[in-house]
Amino acid sequence: MNFVHLFQMLDTNQSTNAKRSALVEFIETAHPLESALAVEALTGRRERRQLKPSLLKQAAYQAFADESWLFEECYAAVGDLSETLAILLANQEAVSQTEDPVLAQWQACQRELSKKEPDTLTSDLLGLLSVMSRDEAFLFLKLSSGGFRVGVSKGLVHDAIARAIDMDRAVIEERMMGAFIPNEDWLHRLKEPVTQNELDARPLPFLLANPLSESDVLKLDPNHVAVEYKWDGIRAQLIKTHETIRLWSRGDQDITEQFPDIIEAATTLPSQLILDGEILAGSPEQLQTFNDLQTRLNRKRITQNLLKTNPAFFKAYDLLRVDGEDMRTQPLTVRKNILSKINVIQSQVIYPAAHQDIQDMRLKARIEGAEGIMIKDRQSTYVGGRKTGHWWKWKLDPMTADCVLIYAQAGHGRRASLHSDYTLACWNQNNELVPVAKAYSGLTDAELKAMDQWIRKHTLQKFGPVRQVEAVQVFEIGFEGIARSTRHKSGIALRFPRILRWRQDVGPQDADHLSHFETLMSDSNAV
Amino acid sequence: MVSKKRRHRDPLIIRTPEGLYCPKARAHIDPWRPVDCALITHAHADHARAGSKHYHCARGGEGLLAKRLGDHIIEPHSYGEPFSLGDVQISFHPAGHVLGSAQIRLDDGESVWVITGDYKRDLDPTCQPFEPIPCDVLITEATFALPIYRWPSMDQVMDQLFGWWDHHIRNQRTPVLLCYSLGKAQRIMAEIKQRSDRSVQVHGAVANLNIEYEKQGVQLCPWQRASESDKGVSTDLIIAPPQVAGSSFLKRFHPTELAMASGWMQVRGVRRRSAIHQGFVVSDHADWNSLIKTVKQSEATEVFATHGETRVLTRYLNDHLGISAERLETAFGIEDGIDQ
Repeated sequence: MNFVHLFQMLDTNQSTNAKRSALVEFIETAHPLESALAVEALTGRRERRQLKPSLLKQAAYQAFADESWLFEECYAAVGDLSETLAILLANQEAVSQTEDPVLAQWQACQRELSKKEPDTLTSDLLGLLSVMSRDEAFLFLKLSSGGFRVGVSKGLVHDAIARAIDMDRAVIEERMMGAFIPNEDWLHRLKEPVTQNELDARPLPFLLANPLSESDVLKLDPNHVAVEYKWDGIRAQLIKTHETIRLWSRGDQDITEQFPDIIEAATTLPSQLILDGEILAGSPEQLQTFNDLQTRLNRKRITQNLLKTNPAFFKAYDLLRVDGEDMRTQPLTVRKNILSKINVIQSQVIYPAAHQDIQDMRLKARIEGAEGIMIKDRQSTYVGGRKTGHWWKWKLDPMTADCVLIYAQAGHGRRASLHSDYTLACWNQNNELVPVAKAYSGLTDAELKAMDQWIRKHTLQKFGPVRQVEAVQVFEIGFEGIARSTRHKSGIALRFPRILRWRQDVGPQDADHLSHFETLMSDSNAV
Repeated sequence: MVSKKRRHRDPLIIRTPEGLYCPKARAHIDPWRPVDCALITHAHADHARAGSKHYHCARGGEGLLAKRLGDHIIEPHSYGEPFSLGDVQISFHPAGHVLGSAQIRLDDGESVWVITGDYKRDLDPTCQPFEPIPCDVLITEATFALPIYRWPSMDQVMDQLFGWWDHHIRNQRTPVLLCYSLGKAQRIMAEIKQRSDRSVQVHGAVANLNIEYEKQGVQLCPWQRASESDKGVSTDLIIAPPQVAGSSFLKRFHPTELAMASGWMQVRGVRRRSAIHQGFVVSDHADWNSLIKTVKQSEATEVFATHGETRVLTRYLNDHLGISAERLETAFGIEDGIDQ
């Protein structure tokens, strides 16, 4: 298998499993230099642009001469420069060659082309494309112009490498950190025997909490539990070995590179340590919202500027390993006790004497910027998974607002033909409806069907799959938090909005005003 | 820039609220509202609408038209055999789009007009190939009038389809091909028949049309109604209209793998937006080169483009080929947004 074949498999398979097995097969069967260069491209390591998009465009204009407006029309319809050129200039009859390596040869071509003067570059490039199949031309141009993207994450590539050479995923993550030298030797280097340090750098299975309601809380013995705030961040394990510091999220993602500030702060910690806790945005004194945190996860490169505008820190609440010793079989109180002696930001814990103490803590949660409280059995050990009788979470009731439906779109999967994705709006100071949330669920199937029919009959305008509808229907939505947002017209973004009720009893004039959200925002600490 | 626009004193065909109309013949062409006399190019829903008093169509297409329209008066005419309405000689000519599809030629002794309807120039085992008809004025479709639309050969597409089909059978997934149930489905089944002894299962909408195709002597691969098959993963290809994506129809074959056969699949972004992961470029419309070739072969001095990329086609004809061309607004091609 070569890279073209791999791309075709990745591009036309929907399931992660299928993509993973395609990657595994590729790594196992491809020429080692081909797979090395492919891994470099797939993990976003190859950012150098050998051919600038402006040069590609220029080549197209020359090729189309006085019909360049026609090229512009094509580009507008396709929406991607490399793809447009591939369709127009590749050899239509050529079938992709899917076995022999291509990447090393392409790299040489790119280097050659990048040295050429613009005039000869155009004719050389056109000549090159005219002997390629469409997929080959597309990939060649994408890789050359630095815009290559196909739906696989770095994590998936690392996972596939681990499977292909039968190594532990965490060890591969560790070994793929930093510089990657794409040569024929790459798999041998990854296969070297695992060191103790690498074993120590693997995350342990997370203990998950079960949800709890008020009546359940009353059944618990306050003297047997510990209570702390439930923080709205990213659950993570901070791991420090003799040689390295790693941050792993619960989603089995190594997110070390996203949080250099947390890693920097952890350098003063004792080694041979694993902490369980939450990554939070802002500082312990001034929390920011979950949205601010997400910015960090979604960026490819964490700039100094981003570290300033969106700082993050780690709040520890459990201790899984200390001085190399596994603490998970120790009771919670023992783990908490040792944790309290370590110089790290940690979650405040109370040992309630009565149910009232638990209630009081929950009431204070919103002011503290937490999303509820955690109740933990004082004697509980730390085990992986959602075990009953260890940890519980008691969330705050969601904030609510009445909003007007203004746009609807068909859903996915079993809701593919039903208009089930709603854009909801509230009134602003100029008496206009401004969108505040998109909500997907919460209605019964019967309600969804009824709404679908109503939407079809009351569509004002269609924008592709989106229908603008008459502003008539009101829904009560629930959400977990509010943040300011420059991206939305309303200036706010809601966290986890969902429909609680169809308010058939009120009209659009009764829907909430933007000031309602402002009030909710100033009530909670996190702004 | 272009040859001077030569207006025919009385245009043979005009646009009315009901659709394209030939006053001298008192007949509408593919009207979108009920009229007295309708000339129908083919049985797709955006061209053949019910409610008119009298329909004319090409022989071979009357069965499909009757299925589409229900109980109406339908008069079939053999390809190339003229008949008169008023002072106008009218004849139907193969358009190569679907079974019984036609171009319509109208001749009042002063000028000859040809309405192509939907057409393609590629060979299709389910219908007679397109015939170029010389004329003064050509009214053409322009669905895919951009140079990015160049159809690959059917050999290339079928190789790709068989490879995809076998791949998913090996992985114990049912391959499902979504395509328009009238025309595209039967074309693919006929292409399968020519190349293999593979069999397929079809959605009810496809099955009903298959019967009509076979009645007209079209050779399809072995097929069975999907609703009458066993539950579970199928090694047969399932052929169904795009509307079944996400519906309960596919449940019996789970797990399934969806692909779409359409000219729109030429563009990766379109395929990805449609949440379909595999696309096969098969169209029953003319691609860019075919459109240009057809205009040239018609020798028409005036061209109207009815639907699709009309702006691009007319500009190209005016600016680069010196053929006077104009856009003509119609309600064709906007039925459900898929390539028919």
